[in-house]
Amino acid sequence: MELEDIISKYPPRQIMLVPIAVIILALISLGVTYLSTGSPVKLGIEFTGGTLITVPGMGSEESVAEEFAGYPLVDIRDIGNRYMIQFGPMSDSQYSALAKLANDRFDSPDIRHMGPIYSKELQSQVARYLPLSFIFMAIVVFVVFRQIVVSALVVLCALADILIAAASMNLTGVELSLGTVAALLMLIGYSVDTDILLSMRVLKRKGDVDEKIKGAMQTGLTMAGTTIAAVIALIIISNFLYLIVPSFTRMNIIADMTAVLIFGLAADVFNTWVTNAQGLRWYLGRPKMSARGQKR
Amino acid sequence: MSLIEDLSKDKRVVLYVVAVALAIISIGFFGLKFGLDLEGGSYLQLQLQGAQAQIDVSPEKILEYQFNATSVERRAQSYVVMVPGITEADAADDLGYVGAKVAAGENSTKITIPASAESIVLTYLKNNLDADVKLNVNVAPVRYEILTNVTRDSLNALLAPVGGRVPEGEDTFVEGVTEETMQDTKRVLDSKLNRLGLQDIKVKPVGGRFLLIDMAGADVAQAQEIVGKPGKFEIRIQTENNESVHVLYGDAVESVEIPSKENEVWGVPFGLSEEGAAAFQKAAIDAGATRKPEDHYISMHLDKEEIFSAPLAPELASSLNKAPTRRMQATVGSGDVGSEKAKMLNIHLREGALPVNVEIVGSGQVSAALGSQFKIQMVIAGIIALLAVAGMIYRRYREKRIVLPMITTSFSEVVMMLGVWAIAGWQLDLASLAGIIMVIGTGVDQLVIITDELLRGGETAASSAQRSIKERAAEVAEKAGVGKIAATTSKVYLARLSRAFMIILGAAATTVVAMLPLLFMGFGALTGFALIIILGVILGTFIARPAYGRIIGHIMGTD
Repeated sequence: MELEDIISKYPPRQIMLVPIAVIILALISLGVTYLSTGSPVKLGIEFTGGTLITVPGMGSEESVAEEFAGYPLVDIRDIGNRYMIQFGPMSDSQYSALAKLANDRFDSPDIRHMGPIYSKELQSQVARYLPLSFIFMAIVVFVVFRQIVVSALVVLCALADILIAAASMNLTGVELSLGTVAALLMLIGYSVDTDILLSMRVLKRKGDVDEKIKGAMQTGLTMAGTTIAAVIALIIISNFLYLIVPSFTRMNIIADMTAVLIFGLAADVFNTWVTNAQGLRWYLGRPKMSARGQKR
Repeated sequence: MSLIEDLSKDKRVVLYVVAVALAIISIGFFGLKFGLDLEGGSYLQLQLQGAQAQIDVSPEKILEYQFNATSVERRAQSYVVMVPGITEADAADDLGYVGAKVAAGENSTKITIPASAESIVLTYLKNNLDADVKLNVNVAPVRYEILTNVTRDSLNALLAPVGGRVPEGEDTFVEGVTEETMQDTKRVLDSKLNRLGLQDIKVKPVGGRFLLIDMAGADVAQAQEIVGKPGKFEIRIQTENNESVHVLYGDAVESVEIPSKENEVWGVPFGLSEEGAAAFQKAAIDAGATRKPEDHYISMHLDKEEIFSAPLAPELASSLNKAPTRRMQATVGSGDVGSEKAKMLNIHLREGALPVNVEIVGSGQVSAALGSQFKIQMVIAGIIALLAVAGMIYRRYREKRIVLPMITTSFSEVVMMLGVWAIAGWQLDLASLAGIIMVIGTGVDQLVIITDELLRGGETAASSAQRSIKERAAEVAEKAGVGKIAATTSKVYLARLSRAFMIILGAAATTVVAMLPLLFMGFGALTGFALIIILGVILGTFIARPAYGRIIGHIMGTD
């Protein structure tokens, strides 16, 4: 496996430049989005407020859009055998009329309305709880290892996972929704699994560091493989199944969640076996280097 | 046979088997309930508009300001207010002070108001906010619960003329209502919705400020109509031309019966309080309705919107001439239309108002057809995920004696989670089904850690890579002492298992704490997701995985 060779081929400091570059790129992507939109990722309808209606696909996109003329239609999309229509903010009475219209004109419409209070409250909840979740995780990591550098490396890798996952949301156009927030939180918890495995193996076992890393990697990559396999299954079912089986429909919340998870998991493989592993190599190999430094 | 015998002595394995068996039984017995997004229906998210505040104000100043008084004095249990000139006798009543005595002097009036300091403040706030205000004495200093939309600034502005304010500080002004108000509101809504005969309605408080209502079998437009228009109920009577005067408010309506049909016409019988009946009689006579009932419409209003209007019935008119009537009936019409109208009127009559102003902040509806389709899609997703995971594991171990127990354990974790859901009667929604699939993905990871820790022990990757899994399995078995002595006595085996569990516990703890915030955010939309993941991690870590560790050790040994 190529990744295994990289572990011992180059000095850790040199390899560390790669993850640092990736993290900086992620930060730039988030920063650019922040400067242009006011938030580091594009906010979905739950955070901006508005109305989402899906109706069974009867007739063309235009004819469906026609039905809702007079309402602030933002977007209309084909999602399998249904159309998903997105509306911007509107008054309560306008919304009531819209809900009635959708129920009158279509069979079993799906409606979701997020008022301004709802979306503002949700924004503040995310701003409060996402960091809280991260801090809780960091505390647990410190309690588990009781070693500052090792713990800090694990936390740093988790942070990098989240940043990369968030940045890939921007690159692929996935918006922040309740589903993606759940996925980001899930990543916070999940991303440290392999880091803990790696650090435990390296710290608690006897033997050569590089060999221990390679050993842990075999286990860790299997772990990543199973999780990625489960996520890919969900991606196929939620996103693409309706293209094959026409009676199925896109499941938005699952599609959003899995899109973030797949990027996060990929980032986690990279961060665990490059960032964290090299960090440990550097940390455990450091006494010799500092001794040499003193002589100079 | 010896495998089963050995394992049946291990208490971890026994616990695991019992837990899975219990889960299967309870799923069969209680069944699984599905959430709104899988069953169809509509939901509303309501914000209860209110705040709790400490208020720093002197009641004397309030009275002085309200009555333009020359002096205000506290005497025993009352406030004595001296007002220059002659004041109308009901001046204090108009301001909401009950039981005030007015004694006119020569060029001043003495008003005695029997009230505590707090109730003066309360009355002032009620009057100026046109909303209900409650006193909460369970906290110190006391707080005023204001049941409408106010901010610290708006409250300060209101108190400025009487020299009062909300004291500085974080906890002197808290948005949201008290638990009691929340429960009251929930109760009113519960009874209101149940009466409508809507099946399976859940009114669920979220945080201190929101109520979540799930309604199966109603579209969102109906739901909003039912819930979104609570408010003041009023009966008015037509005087002349198109003018009308107030007769009574909802508080005078004492009882409401279910709609009844008489001569094919639907009506809602209701009863008035004694005062209400007297007020009704007085209003009818004053308006001249008892003489010409057909010209005088009785109208009912909810939040100033007319919900019923009909002329005074002639029989009622003639009986009102003699005495007040406490039992009345509002007739609405015939057929299905009449029946529907009667149903709505029944609700409106019963619930004049919720205890607090509410605002619908979010709402929606899910079609039942789409929900059941999602259910099928999620089951397919679950099966494919399990197969994909099995494929990945087989690719790694190439040994079905490892793959089968792993997949079985993972699946049994799902069964246990569903068992808990069934016992608790919780609903499975789309997000919690996704959570289950995530647990499959992460749960197997932990099993991989255990397996590898046992298989590879202290050896290095290089030497292990050259040997087959089978050889290593045999070695593990040897170290575990299977066949010779009981596995539990082998030190190496136990050391490895406990190291695996250190990793697993660390990983499980981080997942749980990361999920905790989700229990409280998103208005409950992701509670199921977070709960099932936390539960899955706990059940997996403490029941399924310890048993798996034992089982896999034995299986690898008995060849």
